[in-house]
Amino acid sequence: MVFVAKMALRELRASWKRLLFFFACIAIGVASIVSLRSLTQNVRVAITGQAKALTAADIVISSNRPFSSDALAKIEQRLREYSVTERTNAVQTDTMVRPATGGRAVARMVEVRGVEPAFPFYGTVVLQSGGTYAHALLQNRGLLVRPELLAQLGLKVGDALILGGAPYTIRDVVLVEPGRRLGGFSFGPPVLMDRADLLKSGLLSTFGRGRYEIMLRVPERSVAPLLGRLRRDFRDFPVGARSYRTNEDNLSEDLMRAENYLSLIGLVIVVLGGIGVSSVIRVFVQQKLKAVAVLKCVGGTNPQILAIYLAQVIALGLAGSAVGVGLAGVVVAWAPAFVGNLPPGTVEIQYELTAAAVLQGLGIGVLVSLLFSLVPLLQVRHVKPSLLLRETSVARRRDWLEIAVIALVVSALAGLAIWQAASMRVGLAVTAGFIGVTIVLHLTGRLLVRTVRPLARSRWFPLRHAVLRVGRPGNQTRAILLAVGLGSFFMIGVRLLQTNLLDSFNVQVREDGPDMFLIDIQQDQVDGVVALFTSTTPSLPPPRPIPVLRARVAGVRGREVNMESYQEVRGRGSLGREYVITYRPTLEDNETLVEGDFWSATNDGQPQVSIEVGIHERFRIMVGDIMRFEVVGRTIEARVASIRRVNWRDPRRGGFMFVFRPGTFEQAPHAYIAPAKGPDDPSVRGRLQHDLVARYPNVSVIDVSEILETVRKVVRGVTLAISVVGAIVLFSGILILVGSVSMTKFQKVYEAAIFKTLGASTRSIAGMIVLEYGALGLLAGAVGSIGALALSWTVSRFALDIPWEPSPIVNLAGIAITGMLVCGIGVTSSLDVLRRKPLATLRAE
Amino acid sequence: MVLGDSLTFGLGLPSDESYPAILQRKLDQAGYRYEVVNAGVSGETSAGGLRRLDWALGNDARILILALGGNDGLRGIPVESMKANLSAIIDGAKRRGAAVLLAGMEAPPNLGNAYTGEFRGAFREVAQQQAVPLLPFLLQGVAGVASLNQGDRIHPNREGARLVAEHVWRSLEPIVREDAARR
Repeated sequence: MVFVAKMALRELRASWKRLLFFFACIAIGVASIVSLRSLTQNVRVAITGQAKALTAADIVISSNRPFSSDALAKIEQRLREYSVTERTNAVQTDTMVRPATGGRAVARMVEVRGVEPAFPFYGTVVLQSGGTYAHALLQNRGLLVRPELLAQLGLKVGDALILGGAPYTIRDVVLVEPGRRLGGFSFGPPVLMDRADLLKSGLLSTFGRGRYEIMLRVPERSVAPLLGRLRRDFRDFPVGARSYRTNEDNLSEDLMRAENYLSLIGLVIVVLGGIGVSSVIRVFVQQKLKAVAVLKCVGGTNPQILAIYLAQVIALGLAGSAVGVGLAGVVVAWAPAFVGNLPPGTVEIQYELTAAAVLQGLGIGVLVSLLFSLVPLLQVRHVKPSLLLRETSVARRRDWLEIAVIALVVSALAGLAIWQAASMRVGLAVTAGFIGVTIVLHLTGRLLVRTVRPLARSRWFPLRHAVLRVGRPGNQTRAILLAVGLGSFFMIGVRLLQTNLLDSFNVQVREDGPDMFLIDIQQDQVDGVVALFTSTTPSLPPPRPIPVLRARVAGVRGREVNMESYQEVRGRGSLGREYVITYRPTLEDNETLVEGDFWSATNDGQPQVSIEVGIHERFRIMVGDIMRFEVVGRTIEARVASIRRVNWRDPRRGGFMFVFRPGTFEQAPHAYIAPAKGPDDPSVRGRLQHDLVARYPNVSVIDVSEILETVRKVVRGVTLAISVVGAIVLFSGILILVGSVSMTKFQKVYEAAIFKTLGASTRSIAGMIVLEYGALGLLAGAVGSIGALALSWTVSRFALDIPWEPSPIVNLAGIAITGMLVCGIGVTSSLDVLRRKPLATLRAE
Repeated sequence: MVLGDSLTFGLGLPSDESYPAILQRKLDQAGYRYEVVNAGVSGETSAGGLRRLDWALGNDARILILALGGNDGLRGIPVESMKANLSAIIDGAKRRGAAVLLAGMEAPPNLGNAYTGEFRGAFREVAQQQAVPLLPFLLQGVAGVASLNQGDRIHPNREGARLVAEHVWRSLEPIVREDAARR
């Protein structure tokens, strides 16, 4: 043992310079993992806090009627079982408010929420005055209102407002209110008041419509079990329960995707590092063959010698990991400068290294060093002492031990992948891709040697020798193919994923996307509404109203659609439910045609309809079928002319199951809805909404600008983080590739020197190198690129759940850049060989 | 012809269990030869009803049951605008020679007494001005009763729809009798 340690130290003293690259690979890999992990965990903590602030509690139990005594008893019992002590009640309803003074009888609908002193458990109520929120503000008939309500009614803080027949005082203006459900359908701005006042107001008498809530603060580990318990308890009752973790909105889905993606990237960087490690060790072992033979002569056993090298690997791996952690510290400290701090009220992120990430990074660093050097190191077992006397190449035999070790390494790698990616699917996809690409690369290597063999008789010197070199035993063909192929596989894969992921984000954060929805615009009001927008905001694109009608499918191909049971009619999946339909001449941006024409040139006068692919699949309705629709009391027979696919994630122009060919419904009575982009200035916006509703009282405006703004800010941060991380992968990957390829030059040096001695010109040697490396690079790039396509498709489809679009430019650029890169490295790393006098090289050897 | 909203359409009910469908069976049983057209559209307000009156009425509608206003109430739309729309609808029906039965609605009490009072009064005033019969509250005896409504506490269930049909029938039958006698 002491001998092993001493030998390892001595060797290390001599060889550390050569292993410097190994060290760098591990350091880069570990730095990436630790910083990514830490940042992800930081973001997760912030997001969890944000999610809790959005619900203001851990669990909310809600019902559209007062809780019955039975329900309350059941809830009490569950709370005792899970020892939950902190709870508070809230109630919410829509009502009309009007100013107490001023003869104008302007009444506005608001969504009023009554809360108790314990509200909120999480998050803070942000007031415009800058003061701190306390329940005392609401007591004695106080109200907190939104700025737009003040604008609409022409009121200011301190004025009185009549609510439920009684006067209340507006105490302050709320900018951020935890616990208000975002994105819900509401007809008025939120108002906050005391729950007791609201219950006493008489608004919530027997027929009053309200939402009753019990908010709970629950120990973290009990959240999921208690939620499941409550949901089972109240399955058949109009009582629902949700937790802050209930992923209802796109935002948290996007964040989850980003997190999975970042974990995956961490994994990819580690594997890239591993590829670097394995090429270093391979070359290192080749150079150490003589030393090994000497050790064997003086009686060193195989286990001892293996232990000596493994000890070096572990020492270097550990040191590299430590440096990596240091680097990560620097990266994390700089992160705020990159990502930027998000404004208050959204997500506040505390940037720091987390202990878990550091430990994980160190562990993975050492593990990857070991795993990727084990197989090349096994070669030392076959070194014979006689090597010192005669140059013989070491036999490359596969024995059971090597196969066992390979199996072990592969399964350990799969385990590592699953752990790192925190997902079985992603882990398996990456491992399968890794193994698949490795096998393909091996086979292509062999195929290449065989196919180019005839060229060995070429009369052109560089080509002849390039071909001969590729096929020569003990050459680096496979090593380069493997390192470069796997490297490009992961890098191109990451790039493709990133493109797809960012595309799916961008749809939601487009600045010009609609941020308010106008509903129930009547036909004769359309022009007026659009004119109002264009006069208020001439610089913005005017809203494009969409005609909507309600229809029920009465029959298909003679099949009558008559729903027997209640449940079937209620279910969204039923064909018999009411559908909102529209008509237009062209497809929208978020639609693609699957089958048929939209619309065909010939129009025989029969109504035509285009159906969504979901309807086609679920009900087996085909192009050419005749469907009967009941539209506002009339029955219309329409021929299915086409099948469309709607990208439901892109909500800009809505999604319709049935779109009709223009010509059928123009005469039918129908209303319009209009997604619109309103002015950014809140006061202009308030005025626009006020004018709109004053002139067209039946038009309702649903303003989603604030939700969108929050989503945008978070997504922008995440997008930036993903792009930065993608750049890191590319950069470190290229570094590692450069290193791996230039490692192979040690062998070339000697050959080049001999060629030169024999009279080869520097140019022909350079040509030879360009040909060899160029061909290998292009081949590896092509294999990697195809693998990357498969990887990105699998991961998009099964792990991230995002639509996948091929991006041929990334693929082609990937292949070209890989080829050029490998070529360039080959030549530059051989520059000194080309320039140097051959004698120096020959002597040194 | 029943011009209405989701209550008329029979949201959440099989199409042959909405109250207009039940009215049809009652007419058949009583031996009247009328066809009931359900022109209920979910989410419809009085403004929407006015705009689609022509399409819905056609040329041969004899009796119009006007059952709109529920969504105006849910959305807190100004009562004056609803009144104007209802009046215009009745004018249109009269021009076509159709008799009108106006069904009243209530705004949910959570909107406050000022609004609900004004809302309730609107139907009475319109009926008076236009001299048409008024059914004071379409959901009389059904609204707010848990066992007669669906889980959303707005839409009647089977039993609820049956009661609404009974209720409407009591006001509708005299009008039908008179109209049949005239023909």
